[in-house]
Formats: sequence, structure tokens, C-alpha cells
Amino acid sequence: MSHSVAPIEMGQGPGAARHIRQAAIFVAPLVVLFLSWPLLVWAFGVDARVFPGVKAVFAAAVESVSDGSLLAHVAASLGRVAAGTLLAVVVAVPLGVAMGVNAGISAFLTPLFRFFSVLAGIAWIPIATLWFGYGFGAITFVIFNAVFFIVAYNTLLGVTAIPMRLRHAAASLGAGRLAMVTEVLLPGALPNIVTGIRTGLGFAWRGLIAAEMIATNVGLGYMLFVARDFYRTEVIVLGMIVIGILWLLIDRLILAPLERATIERWGLVQRA
Amino acid sequence: MKSLTLRNLHKTYFDPAVGTRVTAIQDVSLEIGAGEFVAVVGPSGCGKSTILNMVAGFLPATRGDIIVGDRSVKGPGRDRGVVFQNFALLPWKTVIDNVGFGLKMRGIPKPERDRIAMEFLELAGLSQAAERYPNELSGGMQQRAGVVRALANEPDVLLMDEPFASVDAQTRMTLQEELMRIWGERRHTVLFITHDVGEAVFLADRVVVLSKGHVLREIPITIPRPRRWDALTEDGEFKRLSAEVLQMVRAA
Ligand SMILES: Nc1ncnc2c1ncn2[C@@H]1O[C@H](COP(=O)(O)OP(=O)(O)OP(=O)(O)O)[C@@H](O)[C@H]1O
Ligand SMILES: [Mg+2]
Repeated sequence: MSHSVAPIEMGQGPGAARHIRQAAIFVAPLVVLFLSWPLLVWAFGVDARVFPGVKAVFAAAVESVSDGSLLAHVAASLGRVAAGTLLAVVVAVPLGVAMGVNAGISAFLTPLFRFFSVLAGIAWIPIATLWFGYGFGAITFVIFNAVFFIVAYNTLLGVTAIPMRLRHAAASLGAGRLAMVTEVLLPGALPNIVTGIRTGLGFAWRGLIAAEMIATNVGLGYMLFVARDFYRTEVIVLGMIVIGILWLLIDRLILAPLERATIERWGLVQRA
Repeated sequence: MKSLTLRNLHKTYFDPAVGTRVTAIQDVSLEIGAGEFVAVVGPSGCGKSTILNMVAGFLPATRGDIIVGDRSVKGPGRDRGVVFQNFALLPWKTVIDNVGFGLKMRGIPKPERDRIAMEFLELAGLSQAAERYPNELSGGMQQRAGVVRALANEPDVLLMDEPFASVDAQTRMTLQEELMRIWGERRHTVLFITHDVGEAVFLADRVVVLSKGHVLREIPITIPRPRRWDALTEDGEFKRLSAEVLQMVRAA
């Protein structure tokens, strides 16, 4: 190790090297899992109807990508998550803010929101299918519930955590009701809102897969469910891999950086 | 600038620990002339912040009147600019946007309010820090920003609650001198809360000593202006007045 590469790395900023290392630490166990899979299947002579080999899954991937079915399932699932989440956030944030500024409303609704946050996602599926039938409505409702209660609750927490003196300062500078919301309460609660969306989406994604097994005819959950009927374990495993990777991508590439950015920029450390 | 009048002000809090109402302010009347600088001193818990918060409109008075110019105070308003002990800058706004916040609330367009905010930042020696966020500034810089944020909004009355208590002694003296310089140019009506007797005597035209929620004494400070620390620390009049006020506060 006499020829250090440190000066070159420094040129790109020490952050780049750290990111690469973190990514490596994160990916390593997944690589080990992936490599041991064919070994285990071969060593124990596992029947393909119990668990598929790598080759079969790869073939299934090629097939479902080339005939467009995988894309259709992914698009359907992502579309539902996006619609349900967007709707939930649009309703939850104003409600959370309203609750946060009114101590009475907040005290009354907080236990309810805690309760429903626990039920997030899957527990709503039976009643959702009763109310909305099988299809888009029921699934969106499940996602909506998974995101809505957690985001509303987090918004409420965020608003109540804003120091009173900041609201006082804004008011004495002439901020009215609307400006108080847009200039102080929303930005002040934003880190909590983003955290809420991240947590809620985690539940929503799980709830989505479960709901799609029951209540639709397209989507990743449906893909798993149908494959089971035909003993197509390679399709099931492919679906599971896609579900996991999609979530990791959404969470690691969009939600986590967004959360970090708001928390850092908003200087939460300073709030104490 | 406008005058500030407190007339027979009372404030009682409900104290959950005792289960009864406790009196924080008892029949305080105070007349602060337009352009006058009044400092209120007193031991901890004597009700200084309570008075300021009522004047700012953050806290309703139990009884009595607060009048700015000829208008009775109902709630917070831009006629009374407030400087907070812990700065209370909005952490998600840059320094220049914090200073321009009051102007934004008045609907002044961005280029115009940036121009005005920049003038005030220069006044406070902060033009280099305009685009930084509050948590990237030292305590002294944050409080300079806090002061000019209140000034940029052109209030009639400036309310300050121990604004320099959370910076180091060296910075505090500098900030006091800067405040004197700015005040000398603009002559705001000022209500300044502090527990630092030297600070009160250095800054004010009149020092009000508060004791257990009522006014104990008012002492006019006749030291000529402009005042500077290097000249005043050995000044006989300054020493005498400081000693007098200090004695009063300790007896309060
Ligand atoms: N929200 C409140 N509820 C109940 N009592 C309060 C409340 N705020 C203040 N008090 C009481 O009112 C009295 C005056 O408090 P205040 O904060 O005005 O004192 P202060 O002179 O500013 O003290 P300090 O120098 O420590 O800042 C104190 O006895 C305090 O305990
Ligand atoms: Mg106080």
C-alpha cells in the first residue's frame, strides 16, 4: 500500500469515496446471497417446483421483459402507489397542519392516528374490497390508508415541534394566517413530512403487493399470485426480486436522500 | 416613531403546580416617549418577559391597556418589531431572506426587498453572510441578523428581550455599541429587557427596576451620548448610576 490513491480521491471530494464504500457494504450481503443460491439448489438437488434455479429465473426475466408483461406489471404497481400516495399526502398534510395549530383537535385526534397508523396497509384489504370491489379503487384505498395516517401524524408532530418563538417572530413581522402556514408551519414540518412519507410508502408497498394478489388482474402482486397457480416458481422468485429491488431503488435513491437533504438544510440541530 | 404606553397592566397565570392563579404583573404603568430608549431590569422571575410578551401581542393581558401611538394593542403586529434572546431566525431561510421577511409580508417584490435587506445587512456588517443559512453563522452574527430583521420592517417600537444574553461578553459589548450607533441614527422607541445592570445603564435614557411584578423605581440616565465602552468603564457618573441600579435590583 505504498502508492496511496488518497490525493486522487481528495480531488473528487472525500464524500465520493465514502459513498462507494457504503454502497459496497450494502450490496455485499446481497451478492453473497445471490452466489450461494445456485450452489444450494445444486447441492441439495432442489426440485424446480419447490425453488427455481438461476437459469430458469433468468429465462423468465428475459421472457417477461421481451413480451412486455413485466413492464406492464411494474407500471401498474408503481402507478397505483404513486396515485395513492399523492392523494394521501395532499389530504394528510393540510389536516396535519390544522391539527398541529389547534391543541384541542390535536389532543383528540392523536390517539386515533396512532391507532390507525398501526393498522397501516394490509389490514384494510378485506374492508377495501367490500367497499370498492376488486380493482383500482380498493388498491388505491389500501395505499392511501398506509400513507395517510402516518403522514398526517408526522405532520402534526412536525408542526408542534416548531418553536413558538419562530411563530411569534413571523407574526410580529406581519405574517397572517396563510403566510404562517406557507412560510413557517409547512417548511418547519417538512423534514417530518418527508420522514412520514418514507415510512408510509414502506407500508404502502407491502400493502400493495398483498392487495394485488386479491383484488386485480395486473401488477406485481398479481404476477406472483398467478404464477403460483401454475407452479411457476421461477416467475414467483423473479417477482420477489423485482419487488425488493424496486423498493430499494425508491427508498435509497429518492426517499433517503430527500429526507437527509431536508433535515440538513433545515438545520434541525439548531432547533434545540 | 410612536410612543408606547402601558396603563394599569395586570397579568395572572394559572399555575398547574399550585392549582391556583399566580400574579406575574401587578398594576404596571409605563410611559415611553417617541424615540425614547427604556431598559427594564429586575431579578429573575420578576415579570420582565411577561411585560414584553404582552406588549408584543404574544400574550393577552389579564387587565389594563397597551397603546402604541394612539392605537390599542390587540395581537402581534408589524408596528412592534421584536428581537428575541435566541434570535428566532427561520432556519430554512437564508440570512437575506430572513431580513427581508417582513418586507415580503408587505408584498414588496423580491428585487426591491433584497436591495433593502442588503442595506440593513451592510449596516450590521453582514453583507458577506447574506446567502448563508442561520445555522452557519456564529451567535453574534445571528443576533445582528435578528436585530436588522426587526429594523428592516420599519417598526414604530422595538422590543428586545435580553437580546445579547446568549453571546460572549466581548461580542456583547460590540453589539451594544452597534445598537447605540444604529439607534442614534433612527431613534426608535425601544423597550429593552435585561438583567445586566451595566447594559441597561449603558444603553438607556431611563432604567425601570421591576420587582415582583410591579415597578420599584425609574431612574433617568443622564450620561451624554454618544456612549462608548472604552470611555464609560472608568466614568464616574456611569459607575454611580450602575451602583445605584444594582443596589435597587438586589433589594428588589
Ligand atoms: N406560562 C406561564 N405559566 C405560569 N407561570 C408563568 C408563565 N410564564 C411565566 N410565569 C411566571 O411569571 C413570573 C414572571 O415570569 P417572567 O418570565 O416574566 O420573568 P422574567 O423577569 O422574564 O425572568 P427571567 O429574568 O428569568 O427571564 C414567574 O414567576 C414565572 O414563573
Ligand atoms: Mg425573561
